[in-house]
Amino acid sequence: MQPQNQLRKNHALGLIFGLFALVTAGQVSANGAIGDHVNDLKAHLGQYSEEVNWLVGKYDGVVNTYETKGKKGTDTQQLIDFWEEVDFHSAIETNYVPVYANIWQGIYGVKQAIEAGKPVAEVRAEQDKLNSAFWQALGAVKLAAQFQEKGLLAKVQTTEAEPTTMPATLDDIKHRLDRVVAKYAEKLPEAATSIVHDTYLHRFEGVEGALIEQDAALVEDLEKDFNVTLPQALDGKTSVDEVRKVVESMQVKLDKAKSLLVEAEKNRKDVF
Amino acid sequence: MQRRDFLHNLAAVGAISCLPMSIQRSLAAQAGAVSVDQLPKLEGDITLYLGRGEGGLYENVLEAIRKRNPKLNLQIRRGATAALANSIVAEAKAGVRRADVFWAVDSGAIGLVSDAGLARPLPADLTNQLKPGFQYPEWAPVTGRVRTLPYNTDRLTAEQIPDSVMALADSDFSIGWAPAYASFQSFVTAMRLLEGEKATADWLRGVNERATNYAGELGVVMAVERGEVDLGFANHYYTLRLKSGKPDAKVDLAFTKNDAGCLVNASGILALSEGDLPINFIRYLLTREVQSYLASEAYEIPLVDGVKPPQGLPSLSTISPPKVDLTQLADLRPTLNLMRRVGVL
Repeated sequence: MQPQNQLRKNHALGLIFGLFALVTAGQVSANGAIGDHVNDLKAHLGQYSEEVNWLVGKYDGVVNTYETKGKKGTDTQQLIDFWEEVDFHSAIETNYVPVYANIWQGIYGVKQAIEAGKPVAEVRAEQDKLNSAFWQALGAVKLAAQFQEKGLLAKVQTTEAEPTTMPATLDDIKHRLDRVVAKYAEKLPEAATSIVHDTYLHRFEGVEGALIEQDAALVEDLEKDFNVTLPQALDGKTSVDEVRKVVESMQVKLDKAKSLLVEAEKNRKDVF
Repeated sequence: MQRRDFLHNLAAVGAISCLPMSIQRSLAAQAGAVSVDQLPKLEGDITLYLGRGEGGLYENVLEAIRKRNPKLNLQIRRGATAALANSIVAEAKAGVRRADVFWAVDSGAIGLVSDAGLARPLPADLTNQLKPGFQYPEWAPVTGRVRTLPYNTDRLTAEQIPDSVMALADSDFSIGWAPAYASFQSFVTAMRLLEGEKATADWLRGVNERATNYAGELGVVMAVERGEVDLGFANHYYTLRLKSGKPDAKVDLAFTKNDAGCLVNASGILALSEGDLPINFIRYLLTREVQSYLASEAYEIPLVDGVKPPQGLPSLSTISPPKVDLTQLADLRPTLNLMRRVGVL
């Protein structure tokens, strides 16, 4: 079993990376501009906690309505609207994209279960998953607030920064792949596919030349993932979990690529 | 002495005169690679707009320049080359100038900026270091890349491949290409300029009948190596790098002659502000050390005399690239329209 502090450390690194990568990608939320509050998370923790409680209550209300009035009496669009209404939305979107994807997956889990007229117990099971994602997200934002306060996180929205080394580029690619899952979970498969193409052309292309000198088979694998496996998975029919599996498998390969390139860089000759 | 030669020499003398006497003598004596040891230290503030390059290797060069010149305050803005070129032009129209130098991976982007009248003339002693055919008055090519035909060595021999790229449209070979890839589009632009719209459209249609599309040109080279296609169109360095990582790779390079199929394109740099600092900064990129580094580490072709080409590539003097003003490759819109019209994009 992995020691608790190691887990915490990994989680924290993920958070730091998550925010850093957002800055480098110059990302703007699909649901509008990201507010300045994301650069002062600590001051807004109370607001975020209130919003999470409000969301949990609102979603419970929708499921209660379904329980009493059935499918026709339930407005499932509210499930999307509630989430888009809160500042917490961009706080988690800028901090920890994997959980952000889980939230969208959870929202659509509830929405689709209701629209399919599933038994209430099944809808409640989806609601539980969604609630877990909210609480996990709140935890992630609290941790990010601590790092932000210590000056360990770069400011969001400074944009225009690009990864300047190959290892940083590979980290950026991993983060962009997290966004692919998030967009797919948000039911935006075309946006997800655009991120894949953009990431391939503007990021992976820049490192694969150096990587192929280290491991040609690994490049071949990733080429196929970028150009065939992942785009095919983003067809709107594949489940979010399946897409996540493809992405996670790519991220493992990208980690291997990173360690190969870090090692190769040690042996690189000096310019002068 | 002809008047033009006289003026040329006069300009060179004038430009050299801003350097210390020992360096003047050294540069005047040699056309070709200069050692970094012969250059003055860089001091002061300079902002570079850097178009996305080959991984982190351009960054390594810049970091080395920084370390060597502790009194240099080098600010870098990075981005896609075309976007930065557009920014420079837009900033100029707005009456501001943020960049002092612009290093672009694509000479087309250089053309966009120089056509807008924003590039400062370079001294002749600097441009004279570059190989013939790569000497431009307002920008300096830094390194080159040549269009090649990577072919599968199990399926073809070099002798079977025509030395005319236009002949490939009538061949029976299965072909891999990446039409959405920027370097491929520059190659089609060169063909359009050299052969005309109709011949290029016919060529695209002909090849398209037997072509398999790939997203990028490394993908093309790997497909050739796997034997999915007989040959492909790609910049030279993908094949060299693949062979470096996989020495028994079943792929080799063929070159056409004197047509767009062996176009040598270049990354390039230009100065946007006046003074010695931007010019001397450019000199650093043309030094023997930087040129050798980019040749050995990024497999790019050095464009100053006296520096060896990357391993596995014939000398530039044995390749017969077409005569094309590289800055003309900036005119991509007609190329994209043409490619869309014939259905390859």
